[in-house]
Order: sequence, then C-alpha cells, then structure tokens
Amino acid sequence: MHHRVHELARRLAALPGVAYILVLQAIVFGSVAQGFLSPLNLTNIGTQATILLMLALPMTLVILTEGLDISMGAVLTLCSVVLAWVLVHGGGIGLALAASAAMGLAFGVANGTLVSYLGMPPFVATLGTLGMAQGLALAITDGQSIVGISAQIAFMRADVLGIPLVLIIAFVAYFFVHALLYYTRFGTYVFAIGGNREALALAGVHARAWHAGVYVFAGLMVGITGLLLVARTNSGHPTAAFGMEFDAIAAVAVGGTSFERGEGWLFGTLLGVLAVGVMRNGLNVAGVSSSLQVVAIGLLVIAALLIDALRRRA
Amino acid sequence: MTCAEQSSGAPLLALHGIGKQFPGVRALDAVDLDLYGGEVHMLVGENGAGKSSLIKILYGAYRADSGRILHQGAPVEVRSPADARRLGIAVIFQEFSLVPFLDIAQNLFLGREPRGRIPGTIDRARLHADARRVLRLLGVDYDTRRLVHTLGVAQQQMVEIAKALSQNARTLVMDEPTAALSENECEHLFKVIRQLKAEGVAIAYISHRLREVFELGDRITVLRDGRLVKTLLPADTNPDELVELMVGRRIDASYAREYCGRPGEVALEVKDLATDTGIKGVDLVVRAGEIVGLSGLVGAGRSEVARAIFGADMPTRGEVRLFGARVAGGPGEARRHGVALIPENRKREGLALILSLRDNLLLAALFRLFPRTWFDSARATRVAQEMIERLRIATPSAARLVRYLSGGNQQKAVLGKWLNAGCRFFILDEPTRGIDVGAKAEIFALIDGLVKQGAAVLMISSELSEIVHVCDRAYVMREGRIAGELGRDSLSEANILRLAMHEA
Repeated sequence: MHHRVHELARRLAALPGVAYILVLQAIVFGSVAQGFLSPLNLTNIGTQATILLMLALPMTLVILTEGLDISMGAVLTLCSVVLAWVLVHGGGIGLALAASAAMGLAFGVANGTLVSYLGMPPFVATLGTLGMAQGLALAITDGQSIVGISAQIAFMRADVLGIPLVLIIAFVAYFFVHALLYYTRFGTYVFAIGGNREALALAGVHARAWHAGVYVFAGLMVGITGLLLVARTNSGHPTAAFGMEFDAIAAVAVGGTSFERGEGWLFGTLLGVLAVGVMRNGLNVAGVSSSLQVVAIGLLVIAALLIDALRRRA
Repeated sequence: MTCAEQSSGAPLLALHGIGKQFPGVRALDAVDLDLYGGEVHMLVGENGAGKSSLIKILYGAYRADSGRILHQGAPVEVRSPADARRLGIAVIFQEFSLVPFLDIAQNLFLGREPRGRIPGTIDRARLHADARRVLRLLGVDYDTRRLVHTLGVAQQQMVEIAKALSQNARTLVMDEPTAALSENECEHLFKVIRQLKAEGVAIAYISHRLREVFELGDRITVLRDGRLVKTLLPADTNPDELVELMVGRRIDASYAREYCGRPGEVALEVKDLATDTGIKGVDLVVRAGEIVGLSGLVGAGRSEVARAIFGADMPTRGEVRLFGARVAGGPGEARRHGVALIPENRKREGLALILSLRDNLLLAALFRLFPRTWFDSARATRVAQEMIERLRIATPSAARLVRYLSGGNQQKAVLGKWLNAGCRFFILDEPTRGIDVGAKAEIFALIDGLVKQGAAVLMISSELSEIVHVCDRAYVMREGRIAGELGRDSLSEANILRLAMHEA
C-alpha cells in the first residue's frame, strides 16, 4: 500500500506543469462559473480554441527552431479580410480560401526569407511583417467590417456525425502537424535547426531552405485559418485577430516547449491551448472583462513555467 | 615494423607542404602529414602549435594558402566539409555535432534518413535497425530511441564515432577524445580505436596525454609554432624527448623581468578547492609583491580557478582566503577585499565598448569617488586623466570611445579601471591575448610596476615563455588539479610542459 502511494506520487510528479493547471482550472471554474462543465460549454471551449490551436501548432515549430513569429495575429486578420472581400465581390468559397491561403503563404515566404536567408532576428523580422499585415487589413476594409457573407460560410457551422466540423478540422490539423514533426525529414530538421544548426549544415542539408520552410508552413496554416476566423465572426473584421499571437505563444510556452535548443513537444502545445482556451472561456462565463483575461493568461504562463522550473530544481 | 610500412603504396591521405597565414600569425608553415590505413598517427604540440589549424584544413573548414592534399596518391581539393566527407574523412571535434532533442538513430543518420513510402517521410523501422547495426559494430548497446541530451559525454562520443563510421569514414580525426572521459570509458574507447585500426581505418589523434601517445600511437608527429618538428616512432623516443621537441618557442626577451624577491603578506590562500566546473582540489598561495603564474594546457581548469577565487563560481569543497579572511560571498565580497578579475575576453567581460575611455576608467570606482555626492564631471575627468598618464594609455582624449583603442590600450584601460577601484590583488586571465609584441612588453612593465607598489598578481597564460619570463614562480595545472609548483630555479618551458602533460 505504502509502495503504491509512492509510485502514484512519483508519476504525478512526472506530469508537466500544464497538466496540474488544467485540473486546477476545471475545479475552480467548475465550482465558480455556473454551467462551465456542461457538455455544451465544453464543446464551446473546443470550437473556440480551434483557431488558437491552428496558430499554436505552427508556432511550436517556429519556436523549436529558436525563432518566433509575432506576425501571426495580424496576418490571420489580413487573410480573413481578404477571404471576406473575395466572397462579397462574388467569388466562390474555393477562390476565397485560395486567396486567403495565398496571402498567408506570401507572408510566410517573406518571414522565412528575412529570418533564414537575410539572418534577421525573428522578432524584428516578424514585427515588420506584422505592421505590413495590420496596415493592409485596415486599408482593404477602410476600417469597416465586411459583412453580408453569412450564407456563404454557413456550411462551416455544420456537424458531421454530431461533431462540429470545426472540431474535426482541429483534430485533423493536430494529427497532420504531429505526423509532420515526428515522422518526416522536415520535422527532424526542425529539431536540428533549434538544437544544432551547424551540425545540420555539416550533414550536407540545406539548413537555410528548411529553416525558411518553417515560416512558410506557418504562413500557409495561418492562411487556411482565415476561413475559421471568418466563419466564427460571420464577417471580415479589420482587427479580428490582432494580438492573437500572444495567446499562441503563451499556449506553446505553457505546454512546456522551451525557447532554446529545440526542446519541446507538440502534445504539450495541445494541453497549453486547452489551458489558455479554458481560461478565456471560464473567465467569460464568470463575466470577467477581456482586459483582465489577458492578465490571467500572463499569470498562467508564469505559473506553468514556474512549476516546471521548481520541479527541475527539486 | 608498423602496419603503415607493411601496407605498400601511397598513404590513404597525405598533406604536403601545407601553409596557412592568418593576419599577423603564420599558423602553418610547410607541414607534411601522412595518414596510412590501419595506423594511429598521434599529433602533439603545445597550445597554438598548429594542430587545430591542420585538422581544419583536412576537413575543409579552412583552405590552405599553399601545399596540396593527396588522396590515395591522387591530388584532391577539399573546399568544404562536404568534400571531406566524400573522401571518407570524418572529424570528431571536442564540441559535439549532435542535436540534443533528437534520438540516437535520428542523430546517426541526420541528413541521410532512409525514405519512407510517402514522400518526405522517414522509414523509422529501417532507421532504427540501421542505427542498431552501426552501434553493434562498436560493441555498444544503447536504446536508439534515447534522446541524445540524456546521454553522458562518453556515450555521446560513441554516437559521434558511430556517426562517422556510418558515413563509411576511412580517415578518422579525433581531437582530444579522452579529455572528458573517465578511466573506464577511455579503456573502452581505446578498444574501439584498436578495432577500427584492425579494419584498416586511418586515425589521426590529437592528444595532450603522453601515456596515450605511447600506448596507442603507431607514429608521432610533433608540431611547434606551425612547423613540423619531427615525425617519429614511439619505440625510438621517450616522453622526455617529446617534451623537449615540443618546447623551444622563439623567445622575445624584451619583456624578461628582474626578480625582486621580497614577497610580503599573503594575498590569496586557496585550500583544497573544488567546483562543479571541473576543479578537483587546488591549493595555491599568492603573496603581495609577486607575480605567480598559473599554467597548464587549454582545458586544464585555469580560468575556472580564477572564477572560483573571484566568487563567480561557488566552490563545492575547500576554502578561499583573501588577505587572511575567508570568503564565500561571491564577486561583491571579492571586490571589497580589493580583488580584480581581468578576464580573457576583455571586450565582452571587461569593458563597456560604447562608453568613453573616461567612463570605463571610472566604472568600478564611482561609489568610491562619489560616495554621497552627485556625479562630478570635472573631477571624474581629472581622475581619469591621471590614470591615462600613469598607465601611458595612447589616446587623443579621455572622451575617446574605448572601442577605437588598440588591444594593448584596451587592456591598460581594464587595469586602470580596477586600479581606480583601489584593487590590490589582480587575477589576469591571458592578459596578452590579441595584443601585438610591443604592447605586450608594455603590459608586462605595467604589471611589474603594480607588483613593485605592493600588489599581488596571479597570471594565467597559455604562452609558456611568458610564464617563464614574467613570473616569480608558477603553478602548473592538469585536469583540474595542481600538478606541481615551479620556483624561480626550476621554472622552464620544458618543466612546465612535463608537469602539464605527464600522467600521474
């Protein structure tokens, strides 16, 4: 009996910090916020967190290369505006999605070129493209929302076998990126770029091209996510996702991916997205203002990293 | 009769008349090196003798200015590491080329992953099977799914060797492979090396451990000052002769110093000091009025001792006494006792490059000069100007940014900064690195002046001739320990090297 308790304690201690946080959140919000643990609300959390997941997955890859992409929120906004613009001007949903994806891809190519080929610090490079995307989004819309497209994107609200389509997209995206990171050369090189770039180059690999490819892939993911954003807001809003890179970076950090040496794991990012999503939802349900929610997420990041740091020392 | 002589014909790899010039330094001068299959060729020499440059040329990291490389008798160009790899040359550097958060198998075949059926994917089953096969050749049995960062140094080294072998390396260059290994791990490595030798691999092996040189080597090449001194057979020589061949750097006598010989109070006393950074028990005494050298080969733990004395690294054992008082309170406490650590990398750790010479000279003395009052610019300039004159720092004005000063004058600025702070014990880590010959003599005159005024100096230097000509006595370190102390009478380059290299 005593031995079993020890064994249990050992296993609990091996869990990442984010796991404790999720349990704690469920207990706190479950008791404080009415209806938090209802099936409907849990599904809500899932669908709301999908966009965040779509950003956090490629963000994990970028951070594994010791990089950062702070342009994601602005580029996502621009992509959603472009998508809505095409729909309003008579384009089909296929063309609209292609335009959004192409815009995301273009910014990914720009980020990748600046960081990998021109050697700019990722923060500075993506700060530049952030500004460009933000300005373009405002210019296209003239600061107004693009509306009147709800009929064309109503299909995104569909259920498949009782599961929201959006959730299915999230699952497919997760497993796709998981396969990419752990079963392909691309994924191997992502770890190698962060862990020992010189070793990769000495192995005769075009490390720069793969490094740029990480940002290109991130841009493409963001472009596709434009569809999800438009579907959620029923419009193309010129500031819809501004600042969302903050949540994405927070989710990756909370999930236990380090900003150095290519240390990290994708499943942690999934947990981190849930923790951030639960925090946002729980505070919403409890009626906390969105400004204070940002404070809470900041605290969440610090708490998760603190737990991991303390345990590493113990 | 060695394998080399039995195998008729051309060597696997031959370097002829290799020369390499760096700004101000002739790194290599007409060096020849032959590597035969089935032979371990030892490369020995003092710090800076040219071993590393030679290896880098072999590996395509540097290009030689003159000379040629022959592969099985045919001239070849080695322009890049990729070229070297194609010729079957692999180098195992001391800093590993492994990716910490990939597993052993992924590391072994980085860039050469077996392709899966779907484009872009990896055939993981084959990857791990191949990895296990390579590891078995070396007689090790690691789980190929282990992440490399969880492995010890010796295991990482095995992975590194396995990586080279999996690329069908026929020429293996090892740069001090045993530097971080335990006795047992060394034995295993030697077994692997003998096995590789039996399979016809040519091995070039850089070592500072004379025992290894004689135990493993089929031939020994001695380099000194970028020149080939001699290539000889172990049977024809002995450790003493090797040491004699290695030393004898041309000496610039301009900074030879008179011995004044009246040391005063004890400035520093270190007893049985050990740290996490690799110091394993060090005893030292430095008195006011003397310059004590701390010598040894690169990696012996000299800078680590300096950092521990200054309190930058905490000791795990033993004690440090400064002017009789036991200290354990970090750099702040050392400073209060008047200790200055003048680090090797003066640009990064010793100076604020974007500030003026005046501000740098006052940086550590602000509180002493202006304990209660506001910063007094006129007084600050006056104090700085006095120091500039006292140290004869060549500068158009005190307002000159230090980044525009020469290396020698920058070093003087670092010394001046600590003199203004009232320091009386100076730890100098490689004080003449990157400084031209004329300025060297001035720096030494300056240090001499400090000592004559009653300061104590502990000087770390890789240049044996500097230690011999400047110091009153010297400690020699080897592998984290003091290997011996040399007084004025026994202080010679050969004696230092003997202590620095011999196995206990």
